Amino acid sequence: MTPAVRVPPVLLLAVVLHTAVFPQLRLFGVAADVMLLLTVATAIVGGPERGALMGFAAGLLADCFLQTPFGLSALTYCMVGWFVGVFQTRVLHAVWWIPVLTAAAATAAGTVLFVGLGAVVGQDQLVSSHLPAILGVTALWSAVLVTLMVRLLRWAMMVDSARAGLVLR
Amino acid sequence: MALSRRNGRSRVTLLFLILTSITVLTLDFRGEGAGVIDRVRHTATDAIAPVRDAADSVFSPVGSAFSGITGYDHLKDENAKLKSRIADLQGAQTQNEDAVRELRELLALDHLDWVGNAKQVAARVVSAPVSNFEQTIELDKGSHDGIKVDMPVVTGAGLVGRVVDVSGSRSTVRLITDPSASVGVRMARSSATGIATGDGAGRRLTVGFIDVNADVRVGDLAVTSGLSGGSDIYPASIPVGRVTRADRQPGELQQRVEVKPLADVAHLRFVKVLQVTP
Repeated sequence: MTPAVRVPPVLLLAVVLHTAVFPQLRLFGVAADVMLLLTVATAIVGGPERGALMGFAAGLLADCFLQTPFGLSALTYCMVGWFVGVFQTRVLHAVWWIPVLTAAAATAAGTVLFVGLGAVVGQDQLVSSHLPAILGVTALWSAVLVTLMVRLLRWAMMVDSARAGLVLR
Repeated sequence: MALSRRNGRSRVTLLFLILTSITVLTLDFRGEGAGVIDRVRHTATDAIAPVRDAADSVFSPVGSAFSGITGYDHLKDENAKLKSRIADLQGAQTQNEDAVRELRELLALDHLDWVGNAKQVAARVVSAPVSNFEQTIELDKGSHDGIKVDMPVVTGAGLVGRVVDVSGSRSTVRLITDPSASVGVRMARSSATGIATGDGAGRRLTVGFIDVNADVRVGDLAVTSGLSGGSDIYPASIPVGRVTRADRQPGELQQRVEVKPLADVAHLRFVKVLQVTP
């Protein structure tokens, strides 16, 4: 079993969670952004290059279910994946709450980036008074779910915790 | 050294991915690659539909429990209110049936179409809005069942939205509460026309372009005007909502009007797609 065999099922699982499971579990009408979380977790486990690649793939899949221009999520998520990857290679000997905080901050930042880039390509409706709630709840969901997602990706990408930049027990 | 070389390589990858995304984005935006991109989108939607259906049927009770935990008392109250309301409505319905028959006869005399005569496709709502930014729902019927883009979607209560995307077995509906949706509306009592735009989940619609001198009161019924409202066109005379606010501010050229949708667009299970394309 190589990562090439293990990663696609994880992607499929993420799509199902993103489109069918978490939209049912809403807080203040806001659901978790699983595809963005998948990107962040990949970057935490695998670094900037894999983070960017996963961000692109996850973003394109997310775009399939959106009415915003195709490629907007891909553009946003590959940038988020790269930045988180670069950030994690600089933080050594981290404690457990660093990835949790990273996931929350990266999710909020990624969502702002999505809205910002969206506004640039004419999707002005993305900017609304609902935005603070969206940022807060998606960041919270990511913080809660990141530990599980990191474990899943460590299995999928066959990275053992000793070689990863982080100590996440 | 090794670290910076790896970072350098990842930077090239990132640049490549960004450029690819922008290319795809541009193609979709300019409508040039629309055929290919739509096909990819629709294939992905159709391919994953069975898996999502399964997950949906497993998790919708969990979702109901999740929202039920906080709202049980409210539900009991609501149930009692609804029962008395049904009795009222049954009375009103018998009166309306006669009015509908008369309207149909009159319109037929003038050879005018009435939206109530349109063929309907019943569909189940299989997905709540996937994104936090869009008010769209997905239906379990698609082009195989005769659904086309721009067809209006209703419930027994009133207008829900408009079909914006169709694949073989699925269709996507933009709800009237979506911030980018707009509906041309007419006040049933005074015939004042305006354009209702969405303001996000659970919020009322804001109606613009209503003349200051127009007679609009709280409680008035708003129906589709059949006039183009921004980008979206609906057939005339579909009930949309009731006016909850109508203010005149001194010095302004239009009234501030808000409309509450008649259809409970946040909790839809079944809808009807009217087979008319305006």
